[in-house]
Amino acid sequence: MSSQEIVFVVLGIVGLGAAVRLVTARNVVHAALYLVVSLAMVGGTYLVLAAEFVAFVQVLIYVGAIVVLLLFSLMLTRAPIGREALDNQQRGISALVALGILAGLAFLIQDAFRDARIEPDATPTGAVGVSIFQNFVLPFELVSVLLLAALIGAVVLARKDLP
Amino acid sequence: MIAQISPPELDFLPVAPELVLAGGGMAIMLAEAALPRVTSRVLLIASLLIVAGAAGITVALWGWDGEPTVLAGMVATDRFAVLIRGVLLAVAAIGAVYGHHQFDRAGERRPEFFPLLLFATTGMTLIAAASDLILTFLALEILSLSLYVLAGFSRRVTASEASMKYFLLGAFSSAFFLYGVALAYGATGTTSIGGIARALSGPSEGLPLAMVAAALLAVGFSFKVAAVPFHMWTPDVYQGAPTAVVGFMSAATKVAAFAALIRVFNVAFLPLSWDWTPIVGVLAAVTMVVGSLLAIAQTDVKRMLAYSSIAHAGFILTGVMAANQEGIASATFYLVAYALMIVGAFGVVLLVSGDERTSLSSYAGLAVRSPLLAALLSLFLLSLAGIPPTAGFMAKVSVFRAAVDAGHTWVVIVAVLASVVAAFFYLRVIVLVYMKEPEEELQPDRSPLPALTVAVPAVATLVLGVFPGLVFGLLETASIFRW
Amino acid sequence: MIRLPLVLFFSAGLFSVGVYGVLARRNAVLVLMSIELMLNAVNVNLVAFSQLLRDTILAGQVFALFVITVAAAEVGIGLAIVILIYRNRETINIDEVNLLKW
Repeated sequence: MSSQEIVFVVLGIVGLGAAVRLVTARNVVHAALYLVVSLAMVGGTYLVLAAEFVAFVQVLIYVGAIVVLLLFSLMLTRAPIGREALDNQQRGISALVALGILAGLAFLIQDAFRDARIEPDATPTGAVGVSIFQNFVLPFELVSVLLLAALIGAVVLARKDLP
Repeated sequence: MIAQISPPELDFLPVAPELVLAGGGMAIMLAEAALPRVTSRVLLIASLLIVAGAAGITVALWGWDGEPTVLAGMVATDRFAVLIRGVLLAVAAIGAVYGHHQFDRAGERRPEFFPLLLFATTGMTLIAAASDLILTFLALEILSLSLYVLAGFSRRVTASEASMKYFLLGAFSSAFFLYGVALAYGATGTTSIGGIARALSGPSEGLPLAMVAAALLAVGFSFKVAAVPFHMWTPDVYQGAPTAVVGFMSAATKVAAFAALIRVFNVAFLPLSWDWTPIVGVLAAVTMVVGSLLAIAQTDVKRMLAYSSIAHAGFILTGVMAANQEGIASATFYLVAYALMIVGAFGVVLLVSGDERTSLSSYAGLAVRSPLLAALLSLFLLSLAGIPPTAGFMAKVSVFRAAVDAGHTWVVIVAVLASVVAAFFYLRVIVLVYMKEPEEELQPDRSPLPALTVAVPAVATLVLGVFPGLVFGLLETASIFRW
Repeated sequence: MIRLPLVLFFSAGLFSVGVYGVLARRNAVLVLMSIELMLNAVNVNLVAFSQLLRDTILAGQVFALFVITVAAAEVGIGLAIVILIYRNRETINIDEVNLLKW
C-alpha cells in the first residue's frame, strides 16, 4: 500500500465509523457532531485525491454552513432523546435494504474497476474556474436562480403569517 | 493562468424563454417588495405577460436551424424541446390564474406565488431542453425546490405536512439520481447525453455499470413522474397541497420529468434499449395496475385524481418502452393530452371545493347546482378514462399501437385491463354527479375568469380527440432528437 | 497512487449508511442529515472519476461543487419546512405527522 492509500484508508474508516454513529446515535446533537466528523473526513479524502478546491469548499460550505443550519433546526425544535424516540420500527428492514445496496454496489465496483488506479495530479483552482466559465456557464447561472428560489421559499415558509 | 480564459461561444437565444421566465420572476418579486400596494391581479397580469413573452420566443425557436446543441453542449435546440416548452408554458399560465383565484378568494395575500411559479416553470422548460445530465439535475432541483415551497402555501396543517413529505422523499430520490449520474460519468467519461450515447454505442466494457446508472436515473425520474413503487408521496401531497398548486404541478411536473426521461433513455441509453425495455415494461404494468386498483378505494376526489395520475404515468411509460420514434411521438402526444385533462380536472375541483373540502360525497348532485361545472368535470373524467371522442382516447390508442408495433403486446393487454378497471371509478363519479340528489349545501364558485380558464383545456381536449392530426403533424419533426 | 475500488467502496459505504438512516429515522432533521451523507457519497464518486479520467474539462469536480451548492439550498428549505411543521404540531417526527397517511 502506498502512503496515500494508508492515509485514505484511515480517513475512510473514521468517516464511515462516524457515519454509522450518526445514524444510530440516541442524541440528536451527538448525531450532528458525528456528521461534522464524517464530512470533514470526506473533505480529507478530496485532499488525498488532490482536488483541493473541492476540499476547501467542502469544509467551508458543508462543515461551516450546512451543519450550522442543521444545528439551528435541532435547537429550534425540541427533539427527544433515546432510541425509541428517534428511530421508527423498521430498523431491521432498513438495514437489509442498506446492506443489499452495499453488496450490489461492491459487486459492481469490483467487476468494473478491479484494476483501475488513480495517480492524483493536483488540480489547480484556476483550472476549475476556467472550466466553470467556459464549459459550465449556463449551469453556473442556473445555480443562482436555484439559490434565489430557495431563499424566497425559505423566507415565505418560515415567516409567521401576517394578519 | 487567469489570462487564458478565452471567451466561450455563447448563444443564449435557445434559452431565451428561460431567461425571460427567470428574469420576469425576479422583476415581479422586486415589484412586489417595492410597491406594497400592488394587487394580486396586477401580479397575475404581469405573470401572464411574461409567460406569453416566453411562449412567443418558443414559437420562434421552432424554426431554429443553427447548431443542434448550444452553450457548450448543455442545451438541445430540437423541436421536441420547443413543443414540450409550449405545453409547459400553457399549463403555467393556467396555474397562475388558478393560484390568483384560490388565494384571492381565501383572502390570503401570497404575492410570492407568482415568482415561485415562474422559477418552477424555468426549471421545467429547461429540463425539457437539457442535453447534459448536470443541467438536467440542476433544472430538476429548481422545479422541485419551488414546488416543495408551493405545496406548503396554505395555513392548513395538511399543506405543511404535504410539503415536508414531498421534500424529504424528493431529496432522497435526488440522491439516487445523482448516484446514477456519477456512475454514468464513471462508465463513459462524460455527462453529456449525446456523449454517453456515443460512448455506449462503441464496443464498451462498462456495460453493467451503465445499466446500473440507467436504473438509478430511472429511480430518480420514477419518483418525479409518480411511477409505482415510488408513488407513495403522490396522494398525500395532492390531497394536502392547495388545489391550485396541485393543478399546476400534477400536469407540469409530469410533462417535464417525462420529457427528460424520454430524452435520457432514447438518446443516452438508446444503445442499451434491449436491456432496459423489459424493466420499463414491468414498471409500466405495475404502475397502471396499482394506480387503477387503488383509485377505486378512494373517497376523496383529490386522492382519486392522484391515483389516476399514477396510472397515467404507467400508460405513458408504455409508449416510452417502444424505444423508437413512434413510441416517442405517442408518449409525447399522451403528455399533451394528459396535461390538458388533469389541469382541467383540478380546475373544476378548485371551483367546486374552494374551501378544500374535497370528499367525493360532496360532489353528489353537482349537476343540479351547476350544470356547466358538472359537464366540464364529466368531460375531463371521460378523457382520463379514455373514452372517445376525447384526447385521452386518442392518446391511449396511439401508445398502445406504438407498443404493439414494437412487439410488447403483453404490456398492452395489461394496459387495456387496467383501463377497464379505471373506467369504472371515473364513471362512478359521473353517476354521482348526475344521478344523486345533493345531500349537503354545495356552493360551487361562479367566478367567470377561472371558469373561462377551465374551458380552454376542455375545448382543447375535445379538439385533440376529434382532430389528433393537429399535434401528430407537429410530432413528425418534434419526435426526432438532435444531439 | 490509490486503487480506485478503495475510494468507491468508501463512497458505497457512505451511501448505504445514508439509505439506512433515511429509512430508519423518525426525526426529520436526522433524515435530512442521512440524505447529506448520500450526497457526499456521490461527490466522492464524482471527484474520484474526474481524477481517474484526467477529465480535461473537470466535469466531475465542477459537478461536485454544484451538488454542494444544491445541498445547501435544500437544507435551507428543509429548515424552513421543519420550523413550519414544528410551529403547527410541536413535533417533527415524520410518523407522528399523520393527518395524512405516511
